[in-house]
Amino acid sequence: MTEEDVNKFEKVQSQLEGLYKEIGILSKKSPNDAVNKFKLKFINQILIQANSILTDLYLPLDGFESFEEDDLPSNSDVTFIFEQYLNCLEKLRSDNVTQTNIRWYWIIDGEESDIKTSEPKKLKNK
Amino acid sequence: MSIIRPRLSDFHNIPITQEEVDFAIPFIDEDIPLYVDPFLLWKSPSMQDNSLHLSITNSFNQLGYLVASGKEKEALDIIIRASECDEVGLGNSKTKAGKRIGEKLALKILNQFTSIPQIGKNGFIHFEEIQLLVDNFSKDRVSDIACNFIQSFLVDYTIEQSEKYGIPIEKVKLTNLYNSKTNTFGEEETHLPINPDTKAPIIFTPKRWLKHIPWINTDDYFNSYYIKNIYKEGDEIPDKIKLLNFNRQNYDMVQAYTAIKEKQIENCKNDPLFNQIPITSAKRKISTITKLPTGKTGNADRKFEDNVCQLMTSLVYPHLDFAQEQSRTESGVQIRDLIFYNNKSSDFLKEIYETYNCKQIVMELKNVKEVQQSHILQLNRYLKEQFGGFGIIIARNPVPKKVTKNIIDLWSAHRKCILVLDDSDLKMMTQVFESKQRDPIEVIKMKYIEFTRACPS
Repeated sequence: MTEEDVNKFEKVQSQLEGLYKEIGILSKKSPNDAVNKFKLKFINQILIQANSILTDLYLPLDGFESFEEDDLPSNSDVTFIFEQYLNCLEKLRSDNVTQTNIRWYWIIDGEESDIKTSEPKKLKNK
Repeated sequence: MSIIRPRLSDFHNIPITQEEVDFAIPFIDEDIPLYVDPFLLWKSPSMQDNSLHLSITNSFNQLGYLVASGKEKEALDIIIRASECDEVGLGNSKTKAGKRIGEKLALKILNQFTSIPQIGKNGFIHFEEIQLLVDNFSKDRVSDIACNFIQSFLVDYTIEQSEKYGIPIEKVKLTNLYNSKTNTFGEEETHLPINPDTKAPIIFTPKRWLKHIPWINTDDYFNSYYIKNIYKEGDEIPDKIKLLNFNRQNYDMVQAYTAIKEKQIENCKNDPLFNQIPITSAKRKISTITKLPTGKTGNADRKFEDNVCQLMTSLVYPHLDFAQEQSRTESGVQIRDLIFYNNKSSDFLKEIYETYNCKQIVMELKNVKEVQQSHILQLNRYLKEQFGGFGIIIARNPVPKKVTKNIIDLWSAHRKCILVLDDSDLKMMTQVFESKQRDPIEVIKMKYIEFTRACPS
């Protein structure tokens, strides 16, 4: 990954997490309610950016790129997909970070950088 | 063309919905079941409407002037000619041809100017008070008299609206047009839309002036004023004739009632041509529908049809205007349908209009456990003329695979599209109707897209 990739990654991940939280609240209240067109437009924009980061093996679902507006995706559909994307983003991050002493850093162009990051979730949750 | 309950716009293939236009779209074969209430013009914030109300009142009070000047015969002729206005097509008539009042009733109306001193001196402010004074003077007379006295304005309004929406107008001769300068009826040639069957001219009325019952009316006067303020316990409850007699002898009571009604103007609102059911009611209906058993046990089929009819007409409004509910019998089985006008009001509706020549949408109601091939064929046989090649079955459960294959085969062979909505689709439509996140009709569009994806390319 390049420094630019890392910046892009961090932006997309935080946006996805934000939307996941928002739609998650709606999903708990009414899981089968349709997501309106305004929200869907931005959800798709972020998913397309995530697709450009999660290439090849990291792509969560074969054949899925974004939501079709006419399919009337529900709140629970969106949270289901977001969960997959967030897991795959985390997998990509885990594979591109390294630990020095107690701190974790991004690996940029094959070498440890000085851009700090957090511990991979799979270790945190152990 | 055999459109069910055709409207003028359908005849001319003009895709307008009732919601988007300012006037009530006239039916070709029957009247619009509403009336012009002059009170709505009086209370309107528009100065134009207020002026028109004043014009109506002045024209009516002119009758009193004529009576007082000894020109009773002239007044009689005017009130009789003003009592029917077929061109506006309002009321409950199925034939669209009304009758004018007789001389006897006309005389009774004119007598109020001489027998009631306040009216003789000052005239009316709300001439619909006549309903409280004269028997057989009904709400349709109030509406027709109001329309006749401002017919000249309504003609201009109709021409303006026709030009706006591209409704064809033709040269016509109006033989009963009131001239408010000379206070006489006369003839005039103008251009108006015409009824394609009868060739009679049609005049549009603004929706904002229409009500089912006038704001001032006898029932309301009796229940909310007479019983509360005049009637004493133990008194005999007067019949209508006695009540009207009392009113004529105590016109100040009528004036007091009118003054109260004037103060309550905030509650006086026009009646829409179609009323959507409220969200709570929609939720109750979907809950009832999903709990109903399939089949005919305990009249479940009837309950299913009644509830779906009320729910669906509201869910798809304003994109689809409801035409009517109808029953037909096929192979000894009674089938209930909902018919909607397709006004091409969304891209989906435009597509089915153009691809399947669907001018009216038919929805067939089936409270069956499983949709079978015979149900598809039943609807297929019905898909012709105004329905084109598109129809919807509203059933209870998802369609079995073999029937889905039949539906696809029907498209492959005859390019006909049948969509089947089940309980889950109705639930989703009700959910988005409540949340307002999407339009319920988009659920039908989603089913259509699923159908097109399943069709062989």
